[in-house]
Amino acid sequence: MKYKSQAVAYYFFAVCMLLLALQIVYGFIMGFAHLGFDGLHEWIPFNAARAVHTNLLVMWMLSGFMGAAYYIIPEECERELVSTKLALLQLGAFVAVGVTAVIGFHFNWWEGRKFLEIPRPLDYLVVVDVLLFIYLIGRTVWQAKRHTTTSIVLFFGLLCAALLYIPGMIDTSSQTMDSYWRWWVVHLWVEGVWELIMGAILSYLLIKLTGVDREIIEKWLYVIVGFTFLSGILGTGHHYYFIGTPKYWLWIGGAFSALEPLAFLGMAIYAIAMAKRGGRSHPNKTALSWTIGCSILSFVGAGFLGFAHTLPQVNLWTHGTLVTAMHGHMAFWGAYAMIILAIITYSVPAMTGRKLHDSGMNIFAFWTSNIGMICMTLAFAVAGISQVYLERKMGMDFLSVQKEIEVHFLGLILAASLFTLGIGAFIWNFIRYGLPHAEAQGSDSYKN
Amino acid sequence: MLSKSSAKLFFLVGTGLCVGTFLLLTIDTIRRVPEQTNQQNLSESAIRGKHLWETNNCMGCHTILGEGAYYAPELTKVYERRGPKFIAAMLKDPYAMYPGQRKMVRYDFSDSDIQDLTAFMKWIGEMDLNGFPPKPNIGQIATIEGVGAGTGVAQTIDRPIAFNQMCIVCHKLRGQGGDVGPALDGVGSRLDRDYIVRWLHDPQAVKPGTLMPKLPLSEEEIVELSAFLSQLKEDAK
Ligand code: HEC
Ligand code: HEC
Ligand code: HEM
Ligand code: HEM
Ligand SMILES: [Fe+2]
Repeated sequence: MKYKSQAVAYYFFAVCMLLLALQIVYGFIMGFAHLGFDGLHEWIPFNAARAVHTNLLVMWMLSGFMGAAYYIIPEECERELVSTKLALLQLGAFVAVGVTAVIGFHFNWWEGRKFLEIPRPLDYLVVVDVLLFIYLIGRTVWQAKRHTTTSIVLFFGLLCAALLYIPGMIDTSSQTMDSYWRWWVVHLWVEGVWELIMGAILSYLLIKLTGVDREIIEKWLYVIVGFTFLSGILGTGHHYYFIGTPKYWLWIGGAFSALEPLAFLGMAIYAIAMAKRGGRSHPNKTALSWTIGCSILSFVGAGFLGFAHTLPQVNLWTHGTLVTAMHGHMAFWGAYAMIILAIITYSVPAMTGRKLHDSGMNIFAFWTSNIGMICMTLAFAVAGISQVYLERKMGMDFLSVQKEIEVHFLGLILAASLFTLGIGAFIWNFIRYGLPHAEAQGSDSYKN
Repeated sequence: MLSKSSAKLFFLVGTGLCVGTFLLLTIDTIRRVPEQTNQQNLSESAIRGKHLWETNNCMGCHTILGEGAYYAPELTKVYERRGPKFIAAMLKDPYAMYPGQRKMVRYDFSDSDIQDLTAFMKWIGEMDLNGFPPKPNIGQIATIEGVGAGTGVAQTIDRPIAFNQMCIVCHKLRGQGGDVGPALDGVGSRLDRDYIVRWLHDPQAVKPGTLMPKLPLSEEEIVELSAFLSQLKEDAK
């Protein structure tokens, strides 16, 4: 770690760990409810558990992206952040808003729009908080001595993510238009600007971990994010097939979203090729595992499993079934959870000065959580495909179908337990690092 | 080889073109949606219903237009599937309508809230959704081998609408329907028509403590249903 202010990232990552742990608790509540054990129904009905599960997910990912930006930007810009105090204030406010929202969900205070459940008054606070974040990063970039592609792409991705939150607040009395704007946030985030953020973090990690020339890595970064936008923007149409929007979206959405996997394939090839090409053997092997793992599983979860249900002929049958949940888990995990865990694995040893990155516990965490998540995806897949056949293709009653597929939720719970064991190990290892340490600061602690 | 500046140009031009096209299509979509979704029928009541739908986060268990959660039935076509009377009964007391099943939240809705939510679902159900939800297309359990096929006992009365909307929630007939009550195949051999009429008027009066709730049926519907049920004889299975 070269710059003192980078250490502020640690606190963002600590928040990630906490929220991830809570998210998993609520995941289990839903898993058990699907199995028929809904003893918590009076206090935490399914819709509350779900809103908490997905909102905590989004929150810890945003916290992770912010932490990553505070860590990467000083190094890329070769200067300190403009203010670490404001960065901590910004984190505190973010957490306060998030906690209020999550508590509110338990008391029927929400907006009831999937993924955007946060009530309107809190939406405004989110916007203010994110503007402060953008200001801090933007000002640091603006005053920098050098402007690298990585820092520009990262900043641009974060800025667009902030701006795209706004269409989600457009008020309309039509359910169709409500849904139309909702996708500007949800889709254009995960299949658009978040990919820029992911690509930039990936490129930073590859530069550090493989030692391949920055020019080459950054050139391919442009090509990949170019593909992302080329396919992803009009690919939004794959959510406009069946919500009361014109029929031409079937062609446009189908054709462009079918190209989206290319960007993820590009990322996988890029990461693997750079790792092979790089002569440097960086001491932090586990960070490289997470980085390469991320590029591969994001292709599997988003690219492959996304493609599996994106054509209108297929989506007609799978739309709004557990098939979507299968894809949602693997895509979020492979692309965004893993990139955040990669940057945490890379940066925390540098911030704290303790070299626990290749500890047995951390290696165990990598394999167990990934195998667990792959098994969870399989459980959702079997449940989802059975649901499509029995309910949609054969016309069986919804609840009877749920009885038939109940057993796969037992599989889900088992797989999720394995996954949780891995995440537990990751968090435990994170705690063992301790707090950022003054001695680790002001030097490049990996010494390369 | 591709240079960094041409890679950058590719990114900028590609993005610009796509953003432009997307904005134009959005304008066109905004123009066409009112007609495709029958916006003229979107009454004040339905708008209030949408508001109730959102403030109670029904989407956190159900899907609508195929969006939401996968814990409870798709509601896009629920108005057609169950009819307004069943929906009203369901929103009044979900535990009575699906005893012992997965739980819905028991809300304190007033009658006008229920009317608003029903109006909202009616409006949703009438939109042109480009073919969603699709009709089942394999192993049609219920339609092909009808009552009496090959047995000589022809079915004289079609299934009443009330039967298809309410009774199959809990009862199976020819393999289709819910599991809460007994299958009704051959019920006409087991029970006489008078009993069925009394039963449908008030199950609790006939058999206290039974899980079958008193359903919102009119006199004509009871006549129709009892006529239909009493001709479902054992051999006609
Ligand atoms: C905690 C989850 C949950 C919430 C929240 C919820 N429901 Fe339900 N709902 C269910 C379940 C589960 C069923 C299936 C029947 C059963 O098992 O009770 C159902 C059934 C229904 C049905 C009957 C569907 C059919 O095909 O028979 C209607 C109508 C309905 N819900 C409307 C609503 C509305 C309107 C709201 C919001 C005000 C809502 N639900 C909120 C879980 C929920
Ligand atoms: C909420 C679920 C539910 C609904 C809806 C429902 N029933 Fe029932 N029904 C039951 C249950 C449970 C029983 C078994 C009652 C018992 O024996 O205690 C039953 C029993 C019956 C019986 C007696 C069957 C026998 O073989 O003894 C008849 C007839 C019947 N229902 C007709 C109907 C009709 C017609 C409708 C539609 C108007 C209907 N039911 C709707 C739950 C339901
Ligand atoms: C990392 C990237 C991605 C993430 C995190 C992600 C996540 C999700 C989530 C959470 C949903 C459910 C959204 C909702 O119903 O509100 C969803 C839906 C969908 N995704 Fe993705 N996705 C990604 C990439 C892709 C790609 C690349 C494709 C196509 C090739 C794709 C195709 C789809 C489709 C077709 C749906 C709609 C499913 C339905 O009709 O129910 N996704 N995605
Ligand atoms: C480890 C334990 C976990 C369990 C048991 C679990 C279980 C579930 C369940 C049951 C649902 C609801 C599906 C429905 O609506 O019926 C759900 C939704 C969701 N979960 Fe998890 N989950 C877990 C972890 C995770 C993780 C780690 C992620 C992200 C990386 C994640 C991302 C999501 C998303 C995006 C949705 C919404 C999916 C959609 O709408 O299509 N979950 N989860
Ligand atoms: Fe999408």
